[in-house]
Amino acid sequence: MNVTYNWLKEFVDFDASPDDLADLLTMLGLEVESMVKLGEGLDDVVVALVEEKRQHPNADKLSLCRVNNGVELLDVVCGAQNFKQGDTVVLAQIGALLPGDFKIKRSKIRGEESCGMLCSEKELGLAEESAGIIVLPSGIAPLGTPVFSALGRKDTLLEIGLTPNRSDCLSVIGIARDIAAKLGLKLKRHSTAVVEGPESVDSFIGVSIHSPEICPRYAARYISGCTIAPSPEWLVKRLNAIGIRSINNVVDITNLIMMESGQPLHAFDCDRLAGRRIVVRTAQEDEPFTTLDNQQRVLTSTDLVICDAERPVALAGVMGGLNSEIENTTTSILLESAFFKPAAIRKTAKRLGLHTESSHRFERGIDIDGVPRALDRAASLIVELSGGVMARGVVDVYPGRCDRQAISFRPEKANELIGINLERDAVLDILTRLECTVSTAADGAVSVIPPHYRIDIEREIDLIEEVARLNGYDKIPATMPVSRVVSDLPTRHQEIEKQVRNLLVNNGMTEVINFSFTAPDAVGKLLLSDEDPRRCAIKLANPLVDEQSVMRTTLLPGLLETTARNMSFRSLDLKLFEMRRVYHPGVGENMPHEPLCIVGAITGSRDGDGWSRPNEPVDFFDAKGIVETVLELLDIGGISWSPDTPETYFHPGKSCRVLAGREQIGSVGELHPSVQKNFGIEKPVYCFELDFEKLVKLSKTKKTITAPSRFPDSTRDIAMLIPEELAASRIVDCIKAEKSKEIENVQIFDVYRGKGVAEGYKSVAVRIRYRSFERTLTEEEISALHQRIISNLIHKLQVTLR
Amino acid sequence: MREKLEQLRDGALQAIAASSGVEQLQEIRVRLLGRKGELTALMKGLGALAAEERPIVGQLVNTVRDDIETALTAALMAAEEMVISDRLRSERVDISLPGRHPLKGTKHPVSLVIEEICSIFAGLGFAVAEGPEIEHDWYNFEALNFPPEHPARDMQDTFFVENNLLLRTHTSPVQIRTMLKQKPPVRIIAPGTVYRCDSDATHSPMFHQIEGLMVDKCVTFGDLKGILTVFTNQLFGQKTGVRLRPSYFPFTEPSAEVDIACVICGGKGCRVCKNSGWLEILGAGMVDPEVYRHVQYDAENISGFAFGMGIERIAMLKYGISDMRLLFENDVRFLRQF
Repeated sequence: MNVTYNWLKEFVDFDASPDDLADLLTMLGLEVESMVKLGEGLDDVVVALVEEKRQHPNADKLSLCRVNNGVELLDVVCGAQNFKQGDTVVLAQIGALLPGDFKIKRSKIRGEESCGMLCSEKELGLAEESAGIIVLPSGIAPLGTPVFSALGRKDTLLEIGLTPNRSDCLSVIGIARDIAAKLGLKLKRHSTAVVEGPESVDSFIGVSIHSPEICPRYAARYISGCTIAPSPEWLVKRLNAIGIRSINNVVDITNLIMMESGQPLHAFDCDRLAGRRIVVRTAQEDEPFTTLDNQQRVLTSTDLVICDAERPVALAGVMGGLNSEIENTTTSILLESAFFKPAAIRKTAKRLGLHTESSHRFERGIDIDGVPRALDRAASLIVELSGGVMARGVVDVYPGRCDRQAISFRPEKANELIGINLERDAVLDILTRLECTVSTAADGAVSVIPPHYRIDIEREIDLIEEVARLNGYDKIPATMPVSRVVSDLPTRHQEIEKQVRNLLVNNGMTEVINFSFTAPDAVGKLLLSDEDPRRCAIKLANPLVDEQSVMRTTLLPGLLETTARNMSFRSLDLKLFEMRRVYHPGVGENMPHEPLCIVGAITGSRDGDGWSRPNEPVDFFDAKGIVETVLELLDIGGISWSPDTPETYFHPGKSCRVLAGREQIGSVGELHPSVQKNFGIEKPVYCFELDFEKLVKLSKTKKTITAPSRFPDSTRDIAMLIPEELAASRIVDCIKAEKSKEIENVQIFDVYRGKGVAEGYKSVAVRIRYRSFERTLTEEEISALHQRIISNLIHKLQVTLR
Repeated sequence: MREKLEQLRDGALQAIAASSGVEQLQEIRVRLLGRKGELTALMKGLGALAAEERPIVGQLVNTVRDDIETALTAALMAAEEMVISDRLRSERVDISLPGRHPLKGTKHPVSLVIEEICSIFAGLGFAVAEGPEIEHDWYNFEALNFPPEHPARDMQDTFFVENNLLLRTHTSPVQIRTMLKQKPPVRIIAPGTVYRCDSDATHSPMFHQIEGLMVDKCVTFGDLKGILTVFTNQLFGQKTGVRLRPSYFPFTEPSAEVDIACVICGGKGCRVCKNSGWLEILGAGMVDPEVYRHVQYDAENISGFAFGMGIERIAMLKYGISDMRLLFENDVRFLRQF
């Protein structure tokens, strides 16, 4: 809602400066989003008198003037022709900064000195075009007066962001009313006395409402003998100031009064209304109608239309029709002021995508009692500016009359909820200032009837809010709640989420956050089979773009896109992870399932580039290592790594599924070369995925800690040859199967292929650390155990010792 | 015997003096004083001496051993010191070379801010609650007093999914889910992802919010102001000015927008705060009785407040980020700075 400072002053006598007013409005909940000070910084543009005017000696089209600015006489060169000696003009003095960053400097024009510039309206930003310089009425103001003050154009435009509940403030009067209530001032209103002709309105026009449930009130006046003409300057300027274009005197008046009172009005050319009647009804299904923006609309049976005896002439509350609009030849006018139900107007405006100043107000709810007042004020102005005659009386069809209900109100409840301690009278005074009718019964019970225009006030809490608002939020003391102790600890889920995120970050991983929606074909790039459940995604009904039209079922595509994008910026060493939800459709009536997942992608050099590090690329075991670290953190045992049925998007020879018991909890692998290509990635990427919800379920809540042995250890190495197909982990499993308490640790410390190892074989070296919790092991004990282990390896796994 | 001993000593002291380094000295020790050393060999001749000479020569043996021992120890210490000083003289690193960094990752700024805010509120006794992102209209709108066709729904452009489901437009439905599950006292904070059908330089179709809710006996609007003042002071610094001004949300009444003094200009007015000196950071208010009705709370006997804020906005202010899109581009050159 745009409003100017001067316009507000017309309705309430406040002293506040524009800046203070803006603060006051903002603290009333009418947030001033921006302020434009008209004429600001133009104090150097002043009223001046042309004392002398003569021809420029060196240029035919220029004149030399001596101009009086009230202080001194200045020489000014001017190119305009539309003034003479003795005229009062507008002088931009040296130093003035005109709109468009045009700074006035002392200059020489064709050899003659010029100490300023005589201005046109265009140069001052007052008009789009101007034919010559401004010539002011003589004696308009003392010479030297800033011209914006002299013209009364000094004003401030306030742009107010209104919340949807404050429809009463979609008008200058509404905002002025709130200022008056806050400051305890009286609202000034224009007189609504009308000058009417002798003939009754009923002999000219008739109104009938067929849809009273949507149109509870329709009022109209009839004015004949009008002359449609351009609006006078004051009206044009007032509308321009708040960004409305002038059309003609009658239309401008309807706009002016709408902005002033909040009541949308519509003027029909009465001679173009068949039967000179108005019928308010709902539209027929598929009824065509051309609105005055020359667009043909197709209506439905929920749209309300204003018709004459034969056809629709306006789309009620939204826009008038082309067939009845005011034209230059119009002489008789039917002026409409009505109330339409918000929901119906909202529906029509939304369906047609047609949002007008009128629909904006009706959608939010206007003042049903203000209908005739706005009608009278506009009709009077039309008579005044277009020279017509108003018929006697008003047609006011009001089938939906209903009185406002009293609300019972407890001042002490207001104090209690807000946390203030106002006197009862002070609380009630606030409501009275808001034009509420406050009555106190003998037993002290208070009942309040809110003013008709405050449709947002229906309940006691609404009144309490008004008390808090008018009294001022700044006057509420900040206190700390006294409350019963609530001691909810973080849930296990939250705790583990935080732990895992910390772990990944501490292991060099960088967290990314991708959008939850993706392109429908994103999973296609992963080569998923047709039956893969991840192909079944939840679709958005109204996506912004196709690339963001389905909810993701896997985090992998997003992370791979992020990887590709970073690589395109030459960030080649990446360790990225994302820990977010994926979305699966609910089964039957169930809500969708939104499990948290973890996905990581690593590529490039393991330790980054540098003088001190071997520049080694990451591989499968880096990715697997991260997964192992997470599983260790959560103390999840019984893990196995299965190379069977690899994920389609992984290299089948360099990937595995992570199993806990028989349940899959994740996967690790090198990205399949084709998938890598699908995402435009040029270097190998190693990924891991973990199902966070399963991790939480499997994680152990308690860690078991054992005191370390105090006895010395002894280590023995075994180097052996095994066939390539044999998993090295089998060796460790075989050793551990011995279940000896004296085996403290088994570690594969070398895997070797090449010289000295036959094709199809690998050499694996294992180090076993022996130690007892009870005593120092003797050489003989250890050797016996070690021999047993070796013979087990030979017999069970057919290893060949090296 | 006596001469032999003295010869041995003199020879030993000369050898020690002439020795270079720890190893030679240790050799000397073994050669002279060891079990099979020269002194031990000499001592074997002690028995052949006359009885009265034995103690005298025995004492001389001891003196000779002590002298050699002392000289050896001193020489060894000197030699060891020499070794150390040689090392210190010869070993040098170029300390200008960069250090070897342990690999460091970073959390996403959105995660960082969520963690920080949750921990501030944990200190104030608020537990973390969560809810679904794909939500029923009822939880997202109706129970929060947005009736169908209400203009307030225009404030939140909604992504729809079939079956009357939608992507939640705010974290407020978590309020409803929590209150349906538990009776007062309630004190929760609910971080989460939210969605609005809107995308430009200042709007992202996906963003994050944190919702707070406290319901108990006698909770006041002043308490809301108190909690938010403590919170903003912890998040932005002790002296950050806080301002509440009237606003409107369907699910709170009275409602407020909460501004903090501009963290960029300190309240003087700049481009970030549009010259107002204030930055809007959250919306808040007392829970509307209509909401209590939907969750079967008795509005006459309890009261409470709710508040919600955009994480991205806070992150942008905290870290001086000017374009929200940077947060979702996931450029590691950006992310690694956190």
